[in-house]
Amino acid sequence: MSGSLFAVARALAFVLLALVLCGAIFELAGYSSLSMFQNIAEGAFASPEALLNSLGWALPLFVIAAGVVVSFRCGYFNVGAQGQFYIGAIGSAFAVEWLNGAPAFIVIPAAILAGMAAGLLWAAWPGLLRIRSGTDEVITTLMANFIAGLVLIYVTSGPLKDPSGTGQVTASRPIAALYRISDSGGVSPAIIGLVVVSGVLIWVLVNRTAFGVLSSLAGRNPVMVGWQGGRLARLGLAGFLVSGAFAGLAGAIELLGPQGRLVSGFLPAEGFTAILIALVAGLSVTGVAVVSLFFGGLAAASLYLPVIAGLPAAAIDIINAAIALFITARAWPRGLGLRRVRRAP
Amino acid sequence: MNDLIALILGSGTPLVYAAMAGVLAQRAGIWHLGLEGLMIAGACAAVLVTSAAGSLLAGLGVAIAVCVLGSALLWVVIEKLKANPIIAGLGLTGLGLGGTDLAVQAVFDSEATVRSEIGLPRLGAAFGPYAHLSVLVLAMPVVVFALWVLLRRTRFGLQLAACGEHPFAARSVGVSPPRMRLVALLLGGVLCALAGAELALGSLQLFSVGMTAGRGFMAFAAVIFGAGHPVGAAFAALFFSVVEALGIKAQLLLGNALPPDLLLALPYAATVAGVWLSGRLRGGGQSSGAFAELRDY
Repeated sequence: MSGSLFAVARALAFVLLALVLCGAIFELAGYSSLSMFQNIAEGAFASPEALLNSLGWALPLFVIAAGVVVSFRCGYFNVGAQGQFYIGAIGSAFAVEWLNGAPAFIVIPAAILAGMAAGLLWAAWPGLLRIRSGTDEVITTLMANFIAGLVLIYVTSGPLKDPSGTGQVTASRPIAALYRISDSGGVSPAIIGLVVVSGVLIWVLVNRTAFGVLSSLAGRNPVMVGWQGGRLARLGLAGFLVSGAFAGLAGAIELLGPQGRLVSGFLPAEGFTAILIALVAGLSVTGVAVVSLFFGGLAAASLYLPVIAGLPAAAIDIINAAIALFITARAWPRGLGLRRVRRAP
Repeated sequence: MNDLIALILGSGTPLVYAAMAGVLAQRAGIWHLGLEGLMIAGACAAVLVTSAAGSLLAGLGVAIAVCVLGSALLWVVIEKLKANPIIAGLGLTGLGLGGTDLAVQAVFDSEATVRSEIGLPRLGAAFGPYAHLSVLVLAMPVVVFALWVLLRRTRFGLQLAACGEHPFAARSVGVSPPRMRLVALLLGGVLCALAGAELALGSLQLFSVGMTAGRGFMAFAAVIFGAGHPVGAAFAALFFSVVEALGIKAQLLLGNALPPDLLLALPYAATVAGVWLSGRLRGGGQSSGAFAELRDY
């Protein structure tokens, strides 16, 4: 227990260090770092509405991050959450489009499943390339993010284009109110239910199944997995698919919930933030639940800053990036993680 | 044909410079995913300072200083704080993308693009259809060759490779792997600054937020595709820009027969194909355990 307390303290220390670096950058750019942090805190946590808003941002982030935990535990760096999230939203939008007119109790589950399947498929090809040919998954998933972004632009300006839409940002037709699972705030019983169910599922998968034990072993010492009778490649691919499916689920939730339509380039930092949440939480599912509230608050503040305080939203990107820079600094809890396997010289 | 080659050279040169920075880091044993962030920081600093001070030299100087500082930060985080190089590199990239966004907004309020009156010196009329290319394009083969000499024909290059492949062996002959990595990253910072300067001041003479659009990651993929060899990585980088140029040509020829947004995805798909190919050639797949070792220097 003291080991994990130590890990939490270390993670907090590095987050603080990252915030100091951000403060320095803000000052260099000519902003007062004090007022910047104060405004971010106001936008994120200062009032009940802000808290509710932050929760709305945190829910999809939690789903993606919990999925990311699974693939990172297997020792595979699936950094393609953003692309899987987009493709999930697109799959879900197509399902709604095709089933338009059917009763809601058919359309909504179908759209959610379509989103999960689409996210899973978008994670499947980098995973297969990785285990079949040893193609580095960091590069393929990063490229997959760019391709998914372009597919989203294509879909919103082609097949699902809103004909009444004007301006530079393309968007799809809005989804009928009947099929929405929340208002634009993003907090509703349906969404909370979905998020809690996926959280419990992943917690059980990670902590109470043979897959969970073997996968965290795979992250630490891949050779041992073979000796324990596990198949490293199969384990890694399963991790990929699980994380892709949950990123896709988050895409479906965003589409049916707060967004209500596909917009090209929506939530561009969602995947990166979710990966960050998984790392800050030390790849623990319960940790992810707490940490995603914090990052949900930051994400909520990214809308508050330019509108209310007149400060650039890029400040939030900088905070996230600085935390990413430092968070793996020995922040892996003891025995879990990506440490080098020492070879006898 | 000539204008196609000029297009390829123009868009490929920043990739090649960034890939050379990646090669240096790769040989020292660091997977450099911060290339994207350093490149955009270099581009932003070059344009902002050049247009503000009216001097190209000042712009280049500040760009190099910024990139070298960023590289030093990455080194501290990886070597001193023992962070995971991949995540730290992605963090540096995010810092570069967000920091340049903030800097542009701080100076120009809400404008997303900044123009510069002064650009890099051009080749001039003597080069015919290549007149509009910058001198950095001409210098590119020289830099690649110099890097090849440095890495393959000098004591320093051998020591650097030892630090990447077997740090223990390097240490046993009195070479300090962390110090060699610092040198490699700082040199790479200079190259990234040149890559950014060429990207922004080469033919466009403007900086826009997020203008690198994944080119740094492509440069990193070129390093993998080129097996960490300077000449191989340079050709891999040029191959990616050939695909990009063909995509643009196809768009002009076919008009709207193919969706233009999907043609834009071609270079990214080519990058995946290149990395897949190099994985196959090295017989990957089966040796996941050995790969995990390679991954974490």
